[in-house]
Amino acid sequence: MTPPLEVTDATAATPPEATLAGASKSAIQGRSLGQIAWRRLKRDKVAMAGGLVVIFLVVVAILAPFIIDLLGTNPDFRDYKLVDADTGLPIGGGGGVSGDHLFGVEPGNGRDIFSRVVEGAKISLLIAFVATILSVVIGTVMGIVAGYFGGWVDTLISRLMDIFLAFPLLLFAIALVGVIGSAGFGLDGLTLRIVVIIFIIGFFNWPYIGRIVRGQTLSLREREFVDAARSLGAKPKYVLFKELLPNLVAPILVYSTLLIPTNILFEAALSFLGVGVPPPTATWGGMLSDATRWYQVDPQFMFPPGLAIFVTVLAFNLFGDGLRDALDPRSR
Amino acid sequence: MKKNRVVSVVALGAVAAMGLSACGGGTSSSNNNGGGGTTTPGFGAAVGKVFNPSDTKGGTLRFANSGDWDSLDPADTYYGYSWNFIRNYGRGLVVFKSAPGAEGNKLAPDLAEKLGEPSNDAKTWTYKLRKGIKYEDGTEVKSKDVKYAVLRSLDKTTFPNGPTYLGDFLAVPDGYKGPYSDPNVDAITAIETPDDYTIKFNLKTSFSGFDYFMALPSTIPVPQAKDTGTKYKEHVISTGPYKFETNELGKKFVLTRNEHYDPASDPDTGRKPLADKLQVELNVNADDVDNRLQSGDLDISIEGTGVQAAGQAKVLNDQALKAKADNPVNARTWFTVLNSDVAPLDNIDCRKAVLFAADKTAYQRSYGGATGGDIATSLMPPVIPGQKKIDLYEALTKPEGDVDKAKEALTKCGKPDGFNTVISYRAERPKEKATAEAMQQALGRVGIKLEIKPFPLADYTKLYVGKPDYAKANGIGLIIYGWGADWNDGFGFMQQIVDSRVIRAAGGNTNLGIRLPEVDSTIDEALKETDTAKREALWAKTDELVMQNAAALPGVWSKGLLFRPENLTNVFVAEAFGMYDYTAIGTSRK
Amino acid sequence: MPRRIVAASQATTPSTVLTYIVRRLIGAVILLFVVTAVTFSIFFLVPRIAGATSEDLASRYVGKTAGAEQIHEMAQKLGFTDPLYVQYGRFAKGLIVGSEYNTGTAIEQCPAPCLGYSFLKQNPVLPDILGRLPVTISLAAGAALIWVLAGVATGVLSALRRGTIFDRSAMMIALAGVSLPIFFTGMLSLSIFRDGLGWSIGGSFYKPLTEDPLLWFSSLSLPWITLAFLYAAQYARLTRAGMLETMNEDFIRTARAKGLPERTVVVKHGLRSALTPILTIFGLDIGLLLGGAILTETTFSLPGIGQYAVIAVANNDLPQVLGVTLTGAFFIVIANLVVDLMYAVVDPRVRTA
Repeated sequence: MTPPLEVTDATAATPPEATLAGASKSAIQGRSLGQIAWRRLKRDKVAMAGGLVVIFLVVVAILAPFIIDLLGTNPDFRDYKLVDADTGLPIGGGGGVSGDHLFGVEPGNGRDIFSRVVEGAKISLLIAFVATILSVVIGTVMGIVAGYFGGWVDTLISRLMDIFLAFPLLLFAIALVGVIGSAGFGLDGLTLRIVVIIFIIGFFNWPYIGRIVRGQTLSLREREFVDAARSLGAKPKYVLFKELLPNLVAPILVYSTLLIPTNILFEAALSFLGVGVPPPTATWGGMLSDATRWYQVDPQFMFPPGLAIFVTVLAFNLFGDGLRDALDPRSR
Repeated sequence: MKKNRVVSVVALGAVAAMGLSACGGGTSSSNNNGGGGTTTPGFGAAVGKVFNPSDTKGGTLRFANSGDWDSLDPADTYYGYSWNFIRNYGRGLVVFKSAPGAEGNKLAPDLAEKLGEPSNDAKTWTYKLRKGIKYEDGTEVKSKDVKYAVLRSLDKTTFPNGPTYLGDFLAVPDGYKGPYSDPNVDAITAIETPDDYTIKFNLKTSFSGFDYFMALPSTIPVPQAKDTGTKYKEHVISTGPYKFETNELGKKFVLTRNEHYDPASDPDTGRKPLADKLQVELNVNADDVDNRLQSGDLDISIEGTGVQAAGQAKVLNDQALKAKADNPVNARTWFTVLNSDVAPLDNIDCRKAVLFAADKTAYQRSYGGATGGDIATSLMPPVIPGQKKIDLYEALTKPEGDVDKAKEALTKCGKPDGFNTVISYRAERPKEKATAEAMQQALGRVGIKLEIKPFPLADYTKLYVGKPDYAKANGIGLIIYGWGADWNDGFGFMQQIVDSRVIRAAGGNTNLGIRLPEVDSTIDEALKETDTAKREALWAKTDELVMQNAAALPGVWSKGLLFRPENLTNVFVAEAFGMYDYTAIGTSRK
Repeated sequence: MPRRIVAASQATTPSTVLTYIVRRLIGAVILLFVVTAVTFSIFFLVPRIAGATSEDLASRYVGKTAGAEQIHEMAQKLGFTDPLYVQYGRFAKGLIVGSEYNTGTAIEQCPAPCLGYSFLKQNPVLPDILGRLPVTISLAAGAALIWVLAGVATGVLSALRRGTIFDRSAMMIALAGVSLPIFFTGMLSLSIFRDGLGWSIGGSFYKPLTEDPLLWFSSLSLPWITLAFLYAAQYARLTRAGMLETMNEDFIRTARAKGLPERTVVVKHGLRSALTPILTIFGLDIGLLLGGAILTETTFSLPGIGQYAVIAVANNDLPQVLGVTLTGAFFIVIANLVVDLMYAVVDPRVRTA
């Protein structure tokens, strides 16, 4: 899977509205970039819808236990009475949908699909968010350092990025998970696996953020305000973190938001291949993996997890697209 | 000395009528299997009788395997389907007869003229080879080839996968490593070849069931001059009706007719090489195998364990498909071993608690309900002659488990609130995964908390649960497993899984934690017992002892749901293997 | 590859081009070796950090009856007891000149480039991978053809008809396309076409092109379309964005002002410029795909390199896993190299970087 969209160049445009907007007021009030972007974002209905869905999903993930209590059944409870003994198919049509089981039950073991989808949201969002944060932190630091200092530092870091990018990520991830096995490093099964996955996704994805930050830094470096700070005697660390970083927030934010859906898909892929979060913990990819055994006779089973992934990723993409457009209108 | 004669009683699939075997009469007459067959498709039509009997030759039989062979080398293979199929390219001293029903459980002389002749103390067994049997290159098979084949199979470093019976019983020098390390084959007197057509085996102890050992693929002759060691499996020199044409490792191999195979030299085994070519694809996704069987793109799923869950649902729901299915019993039990090395399972009452609390219907459902097999009440399946009905933990009366009795047992063993332990399963087996989850739920009712740990199938017994130190260090108390009889008698089923003396520290064990001295001594008695009925009773006793000591949780006495595409001819279930017989089957597709 | 900010362009002479090519080639080779070393080290170190000893690793390859000293012997024979740099040195040497493996009963030859030897399967890794390569290549090439044509065309049209129904719906579909996991769309399409309509379609029927072209085509068609849909969606979005940006540039206005027909403006000037970043991404995508379209091959049961990787991991066959990872890295590096070289031809500024 390719990285999210490239930013082609880095100028933070001074939007013309800043001058116009104040015209209707008595005092000319400049608007910060953030405010302008926010206004533009608000006007983008589709992106706002995406954003709302994102918030909704985050809420669902956080409140998962309560939702399950309220609307579903214990996600690990296997109710064998609800599936046929010989064929394993849910009894009664429609995949076992009922008041207790809003999305039906899993064939073979009668688990409540609704609760498992909600549980899966927890895992997917947790892993995707933390891994993204990891990528962003590493990528930003590396990118800024490479872009600002240039020279051999830049060459070194760029080469490093090349190396990381040369790894077939999915392949490497499944291999690594297989190699690490089920115990080690003082952690046990589930926690270990989650940590490993977050580490792999986060650690190997940093070049995507790194490249963008580097590019931005390179162009920002030549701008006047940096020169000004330097001529005032500011130390590099100051320039980096007080002058450059704030101007990088926008693209970092955009690309983080676009990195999250990639990571969600990646985690789902790992779970699908059987090297993600281990069963019986519910994950969307894991449910799809189970569905491969049953979809020929019970096709309904693949829809809840598949659509869950789709809706989540779509929402993040919509919002991220909107965010990017809000901050850089020319791509619209 | 009364010879070992096996009679087995075959349990049934749902609708199958039990066919009377071998109509067409009595004695040695072999390849003619006329009567008793049907051509009307029906559920179970190939169990106990021949479905679509035929003598027509031609066509290519297309097999598929969802995994890969352990090895095509006769010295290095342990899968039932491999032992079934190997009869196509190798002839051992004796072999299981290719016949439907109970006849298929009998041994027939293949390379040998007749079954073995034991000495008075059953410590020496003599076989006479037929003359004029040739390899695919035209050279004749001599007794020293059989000796060489058996000796090389003892080399467990080069051939780690094969059975260890011969190494355990033959009177070879201690620490013998096989002819690659010790090329002086003639010096090994455990096997004598007084002339080119006679071979004598000298055992360490008496064993009246030795003919079964001679049915193992290890007796398939290997010409020493053409032995290429680990590379031999790439092209095994055939003595059977087919020889290797191509062999793409890990992908596919094809066999064609062996012109030097003379059917006249093979009157007793019932082989019927109908197809002209045998094509076997490897590493085909299991669900795809089922799809392709039903679409007509494949003829046989070679593993013979039956269709996957989705396939089962499809077949059972569709009358037309169901008529093309068979539900034979295979001499296999799916069970869970309670590892007595791991506390508190060293205490018999804690073990009994597990057995009472377990949900037996859930176990059965994990394997596909009644189609997957009957709820097992003890380890030994009913197909093993002499099996006794033992139900000490109410598997039939309270199949969902008895929570009260379980709690009582827990209190007795000092853990009234339950305890924690680990349950393991083979990661690639969805049915075992379902079992682990079912047990977690069932035992959770009485406070026994299970942590589920999958391990890769390939290393399951070698590196993990089959390695006592590893299992103990990682607290693996419940080990999900399954075992099919190497052959259908007490020894062939029980010995490798309940005898504590086969447990090796180095791993690769098939006995995953049963250590009962009473069982060991009963086994010793059985080995010495020459009276068949008494011997069978002794083996049944080992089964009873295992259950009395709650050493294992029996799950299901396995059945497979086999799909039989329309173009198959002369199909019948080989009782010895619990799957279709691969040496007499044909295809009407050209 | 990051666009390097370069100094003012220098006059480009053939020798500059050649130097650039040579430099990139050397760079690629070095990169490959670095990646090999890192991968090898990771696979060497991680099990040990997780607590396994060389004896543990060797015990998989000995028989049931082996005792402790036999295991230790095997560990030595297989080279597991040697330190990392020795083992890597052996491996690297194998890559260049081939090597031999002592399996106990015979000496196995592993001709250069020796990607490793699977002790479990008892044969070298490379021939297995090469045997499966045609499947993956067929999959990647066919899908690439479809997605480039469909994706770029859609993107261009969308950009030109910006704001219209066509643009909006195309972009919506594209957005859906990048948001769907391929294993879901794969199962869905199999469910519809293979199970619902009963067609003999899908990877399980795969036969090589030389053996049965019809089956080759029918078994690959669904994977092609499903895979291509995913990428086409992305490329449509990318192309559209790139086109929009390019069409705003000055040189387009100049071209129009010169009176060139619109078609020429769009295709010759606009597209050409917009395509360069697409080219980079395409290179990366193909590289990744050739290294193993794991998800697609698993979903459709195609016997390619991706499936090989999954089987190798399931069997815990470390040499196979190492071999296939390196193959993947190889394709990525080569793809990047090719793209960079093409850049040099197309865009002179890059050569002086």
